[in-house]
Amino acid sequence: MISKKRQSKIILTIASTIIALIWLSPFYLMIVNAFKSKFEIFSNVLSLPSEWKFDNFVQAFIDLDFLNALTNSFIVTFLSVLIIIVFSSMAAYALARNKSKLSGVFFLVFVAAMLIPFQSVMIPLISIFGRIDLLNTSGLIFMYLGFGSSLSIFLYHGAVKGIPVSLDEAAMIDGASRWRIFWTIIFPMLKPITVTVMILNVIWIWNDYLLPSLVLSQKSATIPLRMFFFFGQYTKQWHLALAGLTLAIIPVIVLYFFAQKHIIEGVAEGAIK
Amino acid sequence: MAELSLRNIDKVYEKDGVKAVSDFNLEIKDKEFVVFVGPSGCGKSTTLRMIAGLEEITSGELYINGKLMNDVAPKDRDIAMVFQNYALYPHMNVYDNMAFGLKLRKFKKDEIDRRVKDAAEILGLEAFLDRKPKALSGGQRQRVALGRAIVRDAQVFLMDEPLSNLDAKLRVQMRAEIQKLHKRLETTSIYVTHDQTEAMTMATNLVVLKDGIIQQVGAPKAIYDNPDNVFVGGFIGSPAMNFFNGTLDEDGFHVSGNGQVITVPEGKMKVLRENNYIGKEVILGVRPEDIHDEPVFLDANPGSTIEANIDVAELMGSESYLYSKLADQDFVARVDSRTDVSGGETITLAFDMHKCHFFNAETEERIK
Repeated sequence: MISKKRQSKIILTIASTIIALIWLSPFYLMIVNAFKSKFEIFSNVLSLPSEWKFDNFVQAFIDLDFLNALTNSFIVTFLSVLIIIVFSSMAAYALARNKSKLSGVFFLVFVAAMLIPFQSVMIPLISIFGRIDLLNTSGLIFMYLGFGSSLSIFLYHGAVKGIPVSLDEAAMIDGASRWRIFWTIIFPMLKPITVTVMILNVIWIWNDYLLPSLVLSQKSATIPLRMFFFFGQYTKQWHLALAGLTLAIIPVIVLYFFAQKHIIEGVAEGAIK
Repeated sequence: MAELSLRNIDKVYEKDGVKAVSDFNLEIKDKEFVVFVGPSGCGKSTTLRMIAGLEEITSGELYINGKLMNDVAPKDRDIAMVFQNYALYPHMNVYDNMAFGLKLRKFKKDEIDRRVKDAAEILGLEAFLDRKPKALSGGQRQRVALGRAIVRDAQVFLMDEPLSNLDAKLRVQMRAEIQKLHKRLETTSIYVTHDQTEAMTMATNLVVLKDGIIQQVGAPKAIYDNPDNVFVGGFIGSPAMNFFNGTLDEDGFHVSGNGQVITVPEGKMKVLRENNYIGKEVILGVRPEDIHDEPVFLDANPGSTIEANIDVAELMGSESYLYSKLADQDFVARVDSRTDVSGGETITLAFDMHKCHFFNAETEERIK
């Protein structure tokens, strides 16, 4: 007789395995089909490749001008996320610590901005940026700062409120300036939320297609833009596109594994208070 | 080393117009250990924070060593502060926590090292210098917080309920450690607490506060023996002083309710007579330990005996607390634990009227 406890454990294991498989299936499809010929993809999309074709990767690498696209994506993502983290953490600190009515209003405005759909501001945004000659990489980074700040400020604001004010006061008596207090005391304590903000924004910006497609020129195109190269009006080169996609997600996955350790650390640190 | 002078200090919170502290006047001498004590919301922490510079002074003047400090930044006041929740920097180890203030003040590395190690030795923290605060016990964290103050070698130590997050046993231990530390360093210290035991045991000078107003300033024993008003009498001492309403006449004190007469010694009677309290309502204050049950005492004071029906008798070990009522007015007597009484019994008790106090029934001020 299997005990009730064990029974539920087995059911849980089976259920979570199924969910995990569903979750992993897109990765399976992408990676497996990246090694097939175009014909084989259409004849049998689920099977393993009859012959592992590494040529797809080489071809995709060349067609995408991959190194150039990777660099462009990296610059846009890295700088945008860095600026978002720096500005939104400082803004959230100021808004959380300053208890005036005005700061409450500001915070509300920031949070409300999350609800504005991108499509509704897209056209005016592009026309304004075009007029001030900012339809380029730096303009794009500036736009990302605007679109990314509200959620990030919201997340940081909650975290800052959880840090006792007496830490600020202790540091103030110790002789630290506001700036110093923020960067040496408060910001290190925000590490878990910084990692969260970083991951959310990296995933979004790295994969974003619409905004760069409106702003960037062919020369400074990011990976998602270049990927469009494989999808012509009459032909869709799935084998190359999937190989290109496989290449493109590697940096994000590496980042995630690196950050995961910090997420767990942050959660653990928060637990021992 | 420092002297502080607080003159006519007021604190009004702009937001809700609440007056947290009013007309606070106090002179603090060098090397004193001053304790601000009072119930929560009495303005004691606010006053301390005004001294630290964390809270603005609405009006009045604060002098440290004769220098006006009202508009001086906290870091320039040469003070160190210990917080209730320790306020240790969680991502720095013990050494860095203590060294942080010195680093910001641009001390030389070997000087920082010397000071931190000295402080660690005084506080028994040498073995923990590499540890992060989360790996320390509550008592150790509090010691690090003290260490952070010590290394600074500041003129004034401010402590805001530093022991209230510790368990009872550790609190007693740390209480003694802080006293030892003060003896050794002789730094002028201001300590805020709501715990009257802490206040009594630690203070060289005690400041009792209520609703932002100073009720009494003095040595703990002086305040205990001669409380200025009903509040101070009731707040300082545990169990609290007993109060009985009644009226005075030439025969003595008539307890309200049953009209029992308690003889008042001539010395006290003279004062009351001089102040025209004969025939008026007064409040009688008697400390629990001034209520006796020893036969010798009862025989010697037949005029102040009462018959008390004991509600509850609590054996504390070395003593017993007897809870009872005199004409519906609650009181506690603290008697020797050899007294074998249990709830429901009636025994004879007597007040030591030489040690009791009379208070004005309206103003609640002590009649002197």
